Order: sequence, then C-alpha cells, then structure tokens
Amino acid sequence: MIDPSNVLDKVARSLGRTSVLTAPPTPPELPEPLVRLVHTDFGLRELFAKRATELKMLVEPCYTEELPDKLAGFLKANNCRAIGMNVSKLLNGLGLPQSLRDAGLDVKTWDDLTLDSAYDLDAAVTDVTYAVAETGTLVIRTDANHGRSLTLVPKVHVAILQPKNFVPDLLDLMERLVKDGVGSHVTLISGPSKTADIEMNVVIGVHGPLIVKAYILS
Amino acid sequence: MIDFNHISCPLSKDLLYSLNPMATLSLPVAGDQNTNAFLHEAAAAKFDFHSVSVKAAGDEQLKLAVGGAVTRQDASRKMRMLDLPDPDAIRQLAGDIKQHTLDHLDYYLHQLGTNVEKNGGVVHFAKDGAEAKRIILDIATQEDTKRCIKSKSMVSEEIELAHALELAGLDVVETDLGEFIVQISHDKPSHLVQPIVHKDRKSIAKLFAEYFNTPYNDDPQALCQQARIFLRDKFRTSDLGITGGNFLVAETGHVVGVENEGNQRQSVTTPRVMIALVGIEKVIPRMTDLAVMIKLLARSATGQPITIYTNIYGGPRDKGEKDGPEVFHLILMDNGRTEILASEEYRETLRCIRCGACLNACPIYRSIGGHAYGSVYPGPIGALITPLMQGLGEFKDLPHASSLCGACYEACPVKINIPKHLINLRRDIVERKINHPIERFIYRAWAKSLKSPLLYKLNTKLQKLVLRSQAEEHGGWVTKLPSIASGWTTIRDMPQPAAKTFHELWKDR
Repeated sequence: MIDPSNVLDKVARSLGRTSVLTAPPTPPELPEPLVRLVHTDFGLRELFAKRATELKMLVEPCYTEELPDKLAGFLKANNCRAIGMNVSKLLNGLGLPQSLRDAGLDVKTWDDLTLDSAYDLDAAVTDVTYAVAETGTLVIRTDANHGRSLTLVPKVHVAILQPKNFVPDLLDLMERLVKDGVGSHVTLISGPSKTADIEMNVVIGVHGPLIVKAYILS
Repeated sequence: MIDFNHISCPLSKDLLYSLNPMATLSLPVAGDQNTNAFLHEAAAAKFDFHSVSVKAAGDEQLKLAVGGAVTRQDASRKMRMLDLPDPDAIRQLAGDIKQHTLDHLDYYLHQLGTNVEKNGGVVHFAKDGAEAKRIILDIATQEDTKRCIKSKSMVSEEIELAHALELAGLDVVETDLGEFIVQISHDKPSHLVQPIVHKDRKSIAKLFAEYFNTPYNDDPQALCQQARIFLRDKFRTSDLGITGGNFLVAETGHVVGVENEGNQRQSVTTPRVMIALVGIEKVIPRMTDLAVMIKLLARSATGQPITIYTNIYGGPRDKGEKDGPEVFHLILMDNGRTEILASEEYRETLRCIRCGACLNACPIYRSIGGHAYGSVYPGPIGALITPLMQGLGEFKDLPHASSLCGACYEACPVKINIPKHLINLRRDIVERKINHPIERFIYRAWAKSLKSPLLYKLNTKLQKLVLRSQAEEHGGWVTKLPSIASGWTTIRDMPQPAAKTFHELWKDR
C-alpha cells in the first residue's frame, strides 16, 4: 500500500513501481581506460610532487634523519610556536614531538588538545592515510588520534608522507576507502584553502590553512 | 545599475507561510530590518522575465563583470577537460551513472538511508521546503542550538533556509565568502558556483567598510582577511552546522561535499549538531563512481583538476574522536523532484551536478547575468528546471531564454540535452495553451491561410500593401511593425517587399 506522503514510496511510484525496489540493480561498469589517469605505480612520489606544487602546496623530498631539523627550521621560519601533532606511530617513531620541543617549540599532541584549544595553534604536523599522485591530494581519515580540526584551523599544516601512503589514481583511492573503511569522516586536501569569489582574484587562505607543506620521506 | 533587491523571487512566497509558528514571536536579528521588507516586496511582485532581462541586457557594467568572468571560466574548463583521455566518453559515462541511479532511485535511496543509520545518523525525508525547514527548526529547538554556521548549498537557497532560520531567532552565518557577502548585502546569488559574480570589488569593499565599520580597502586579499577573522570567531562558537551535499554514496551511507575555502569542513568539525540537507537526486551507487564525478565536477565548474577540499562524511563522530558532530542528521528533500522523475522525458534533467558549466558557456547568461532568471537556478539549466519544478505558469518565458546554440549541451559533464528539453518545454507551452492569446490567434490564422490558396493570396496581397506603403514613407525600409511583431523591428529594419508576389510573377512569365 502506497502512502502518498512518504517520499520513498512517491519515488517508487514515479518510476512506475508499486513498491520500493529491493533487488539490487547493476550500475554501469567503469572502463579503466576512460576513468583512470595514472596507469602505473612507478614514479608516484614525483608525480605527486608535480601535481601538488601546481596546487600551491609546498613539497619537499626528505631523508628521515634530516626531517627533525628541516621541520623545526620550517616552522620557525613561518613564526609558528604552538604546534599540534596527531598521535601517530610514524611521528612518534621519528621522535618528532621531542625533537621539536628540544628546538624550543611548544608541542602538544592531540591527546593533550581539545577542539577549542586547536584554534590557538599556529601549526599542525600530521601524517596522512593516503596520498593521491594523480591530483597531489593528501587524504586523512579522522579518528581518535587524528583530530579533524588539526588540519583545518591552524594557519600552517605540515604533512609527513611515507612511500606506502601513495596511491596512483582517485579510482584507487576510492577502492581503498571501500576496502579499509571510510569511517565517520575522510578529508581530501589539495593545497591551501582559497577563494576566487571577489572578481575572480585568487586569494590563498580563507578559512583553512594558508600554508600546506608536504615532506616526502624516502 | 539595476537594483537587484527589487527583482522578484518567487521562492520567497513559500517562506511566508511555511515557518514555524514560533517564528512570528521571535525578534528579527539585529541589522536585518531590510531583509524582511525586501522579502515581502519580493513575494508581492510577479516575475516578469521579459522586462527584467531587457533591463539586465542593457546594463553594460553587469555584462562586463559577468560576461568577462564566466567566459574565462569557460575557457579554463575547456583546457582542463583535455586532461581526460576521452572527455566526451567520460561525460557519457557520468551521465549513464546518474541516469542509472535515477532509474532505480527508490532502491538507492533506501540503501543510502539504511547505511546512514548504520553509521549512527538520523535520516529524514522531506516532501517539500516547508517540511525540510520544519525538521531543521525542530532539531535546532530540541538540541537547543544558538549559533548556526551554514555552508553554501543550492538546496538551502532553493528553500531560502537561512532567512527562515533567522526569522525563527537563530543566529545564522553564511560561511562561504561569496554567500557571506550575499547575506550581509541582502542580495541573491547569481551563479551556481560563484554567487557574487555580478558584484565588483569596489561595492564589496564599500559593504565591508560599512558592515565592519573599518576604513575602505578594496584589495581582495585584505577583504578576505577581514572575513576570515570575523568568521573564525563564529566557527569557534558555533553549535549547529548545516551543509548541502554534492553526492550521496548509497553503498557506504556518506555525504560528499566539495569546496575550496574550508568553511564546509568547519561545519563537520566544530559544531555539536550537524545537519546535511540534500536533494534526493544526488545519490550515486558506489564509492568508485565518486572518482568519475570528482574528475568531472571541478574541471567543469572552475577548470580545477580537483577542488581544494573534498569532504566525505557520514554519521556522528566515531568513538574516541574529540571533534566532529555528536549528532548527525541527513534530510533528503523532494520539493518537486519526484514530479520530474515521473516524466520519462524530463527525468534526465535530474542528472545535474550543479557545476555551472552551462551558465559559463551560455551566450544569454553572459549578457543578462543570473538574477534575470528569477530563480536560484539560473542559466540554461535554470531555464529548464525552474519551470519543471515550479510550473510553467510564471516561468513560461524561461524556455525561450536560449538561442538553442547547444553550447550548454556541449559543456554539460553529465550530458543533459538542454536544448532538446527547452524545445520540448516550448511545445508544452503551446499544447497547454499558456502562451499569449494573440500569439495563438496569429498562428491559427496563419495555419488557416496556408491551407487555403484563396486566403493565402489575399494574405500576401494585404501584407504587401501594408508593408510597401510603410516602407515608402521611410525611404524604402520597413522600420516599425505593429503590436507583438514590433519586437522584430526594434533592432533591425526590413527592406521594402517586391512590387509583385511570386504568384503574380509566375502568372506573368
């Protein structure tokens, strides 16, 4: 029996059915040669660097052992004192919280931070879940250790990328997301926040970070 | 310069009787006296495309601002589409995916709803704008929220959500820079993607100087900075976030939103309560379909390979998360969409992903701007879906706001055959006899005279007589035709007809 006030039933009726379809239909196939832009696993870091740079992200390949010094130098050069960091095996393993503190910066990890205190940070240092070479995109799945606000409210966002993070194409990213689980929130970041609302003048840094820096570890 | 505040918007009518009964009791938000007056005025006036578009077409400044901006945008779309291996075929694929979803929309909406609930979200179906607004106001009352941050969404423009919430006493802030400017200047957006494409920076600078009580500065960087600082405080203290959605992934129960500024991310990060209000036609079956859509959407809209942010979200924050909403509502709104769905002919118009490529490509939009269409959906797609969603009556002129050149069809990333549907709408207008009675009379008379040799001869003789005598008075040119034919001679003259008709020449040979 169709209840005319129920939107779902109304949809079914509009499609000429008496009740909501329950047998799964087959959506169109996605031909790889049509959809895929990156066909290789080779040179993903270089491609990522190229694309991300085009999107005004600052990209720097980096050896693991030189990261602490480079990172501290970069943060200081951009007048960042209060640093937030997500809780991550990678960042802890690199000894980053301590080395930045040793460099005189005020470092707090996400377990010591709250949403409101994130607004007082100058910069955030995070790892990423994936990095898409096709578009130069950082992908972060948020969870208890990865705050949503960390990569959004501070003026500077520094991402540390490992070789295992890279996926060739957006198509691969979506397949991985389905396989690994999407969770409550996944954000794709492709450069610093920007707008072109006023006479199409591109202005960097509207509501999100003004500077997005990616260190690619070898 | 046209005063756009006086252009009627038919959508406002809906607002006046759709509000929460509480609304009349609450005080208007400070500084908003103008809004209310404007709304009443807009609701009272009847939309007349002809006079509004003639006025807009005569506005050189508008033509320069809008035409210049969207022409550049159109060029960057064309360039960027060449990244794709076969731009035409992938547009067809995207169209096929959307068409398939629409053809099985009941299944996918059900699947989506089930998965959103699995993710811990609450799903509502709203049959129209009034119901959607009631649901949102109920949530706001129940959760006792005070400050709402709203990111840009065409669906909320469609039902004038911000005004409804303001009238109900909520502090509502439009957080997209363009929409924020629209809000504080009590204006209307004039483009799907760039709401203030009709405004120049001087008027924005003047507006900001007044609104923030600061010295005049028309540097875009400085203006953005001013808005950033002002809105940042609003974000920090917000407890209700409202977003739209570009796509809904049925397979996983997630909402997908794309943006460049980061204000939409704010809505899914800071507030305690979050509501996504999305049209039912936004569903796509699988996460992998999203790859196809993302590749096309930003390229078509702004010529970017991807927007700065793509936010995929569903349900409240996970266990242990310290930010993100505690409560998540998804409202799926019909508001006229099922009527379009029921028509097999027009169903494909619901494929639209609101990229604005057809606006940028359209020679008509380029010269009259968005406001002249009298609807939140301007340009070729607006000329098509506004009459379909709200009836042909008041909008019967919109299907004629096209030269049928086909540029919109060529630009559309989901291959909606806009020119074909515009012609079909023109057919509907004639079939339902809602065109002008004089027009109907003339075509009937013409048909009659073409069927009868005697009437035809009489007709041509009469025309020759009238037109020749008029042309003789004006040096051999017909310069002014009477009544509804006068439009033809306002911008062009017609040469004097020959002394003899074809029939007469044939007889004399």
